[in-house]
Amino acid sequence: MIDPITGLGIVALMGALATIAGAAEDLESDVGSQSNPNSQVQLAAQMDFPHRIFNKAISGEPPAYGLWCATGATVASVLLAQNMSVIFAIAIGSLAGAILLGLFSVTAHMGRTASQKRFKQPVYMDMVIGHVPPIIAHGFIAVFCIVSFSYIMNTILLHPFPLPLLALLWGITAGAIGSSTGDVHYGAEREFQNQPFGSGLNAAQSGNIVRKAESGLRNGMDNVWACAKFGGPVTGLALGGTVFFDNWRSTVFSGMNAVIAGLIIVLILILANRLVEVKARKAYGPYKDEEGGAEPA
Amino acid sequence: MIIDPISIALITLGGVLIGLGVHFIPVGGAPAAMAQATGVGTGTVQLAAGAGLTGLISAGFMYNFLATAPGGFGTSDFILVLASGAVGSMIMITVTMFIGQLVYVYCVGVPPVSAKVDKDPITGDRQDIYVSQGTEGHGVPTVSFVSGTIGGLFGGLGGSLIYVQLMQIGNAPADPAIVALAAIFATGVFYVNSVLASYNIGGTIEGFHDPKFKRVPKAILSCLIASLLCAIIAVPIMGGVS
Repeated sequence: MIDPITGLGIVALMGALATIAGAAEDLESDVGSQSNPNSQVQLAAQMDFPHRIFNKAISGEPPAYGLWCATGATVASVLLAQNMSVIFAIAIGSLAGAILLGLFSVTAHMGRTASQKRFKQPVYMDMVIGHVPPIIAHGFIAVFCIVSFSYIMNTILLHPFPLPLLALLWGITAGAIGSSTGDVHYGAEREFQNQPFGSGLNAAQSGNIVRKAESGLRNGMDNVWACAKFGGPVTGLALGGTVFFDNWRSTVFSGMNAVIAGLIIVLILILANRLVEVKARKAYGPYKDEEGGAEPA
Repeated sequence: MIIDPISIALITLGGVLIGLGVHFIPVGGAPAAMAQATGVGTGTVQLAAGAGLTGLISAGFMYNFLATAPGGFGTSDFILVLASGAVGSMIMITVTMFIGQLVYVYCVGVPPVSAKVDKDPITGDRQDIYVSQGTEGHGVPTVSFVSGTIGGLFGGLGGSLIYVQLMQIGNAPADPAIVALAAIFATGVFYVNSVLASYNIGGTIEGFHDPKFKRVPKAILSCLIASLLCAIIAVPIMGGVS
């Protein structure tokens, strides 16, 4: 059994790794446009808005990240069994996972875009060459960090699940969090900056995504540049928070006390959410007057 | 050949709890990712699985700690593992909903609001006038947040129940092969039930106040049948045949 101070240090390190992993995971899905916001990129060409935004929805992010992380952890486990150093084994494993992500990105993008030939959406080869390396790079960071904290959990905190299984489960969780938090920045804000801020996105505007950038035509790089200012970091906070809070309570407390500590964290988050809700309602006000009629002046 | 009926019943109950839990989680799918529907902007299965599997990791930790300790694994330990899994799942879902809320409020600039009720059943806040034009609500209002927390509770409870029961049948808490088999099977049963529940929901649900929640009995029946089949396959594999 490790002493509590060392245990807390380890949990903090895991939280930090998870924060970086969450941010990189979300930013990778912004460069390549994956998950729910990609429905608008897919729809844009069909609504007569041809664009230069990378279009790859390989699958939902959670199963996709489950696959990359499980691949990375499996390769790392094999190398560790051959007595390779931990850092090298995880790095090579993560590279294998990231290359797999790159391969899927190319096939997904080309397949999806080519199927839109009837809507006159071109396949830009320079986009494939320009976007795939950053996708692999962001994916590598995410997979490396997830496999690393899974390794710490397995080896130092002595979690009973084997490393590839832990990485699979944390990969699925990372994908679920990225898809639920940071992607909203990309989908609801960055893709629709042609709408007034805070107006809500009318369903009639579906497919009318922004296609012009600060300079030239907008692509995935412009999107990740913007999303790195909010969506990416908050996704990191969400994954880091989940990993940290969940492990903190079981490191500091034991038995039923750990359960009670967890419930207190949940209660605090419910109250914090209520505070944000009240603040937002006051700041933005209603869209209609009290009788439900015309918009207030 | 007799297959342990209590194990079959408990694994089936775990599956039903997962199916029930999914209905509580407020998900808006692709429309919510564009702030066009209330709830978290992802798919039902994705979020439920993400939360449930975090709970499974917590439950695995606690089970290993208690089952390998001297004195054996009693009923109170069983409850503690289930509680640990449920709380792990609740932490993941509340953190995700809270951070998602921050994105809706500070990044997209819309207040959290439900389009299915005129007043929030918990806070009593007026909802309909805060819905922006052409949308079905946005963000995670308090009622949906509380509902999501309950969903995490049921999901984590169900996943942990399946895992612990399979581990009890395997009767080797330190054997990595048994641990991996039980965890993968629990994950599989989790996905089976969340996909079934997802079909019942049909894309989006705001929580227990949503009219779609009335469809729960159908989901419970189908999850019961599916989980029973899963249990009949799982129990003999883990060695629960006498």
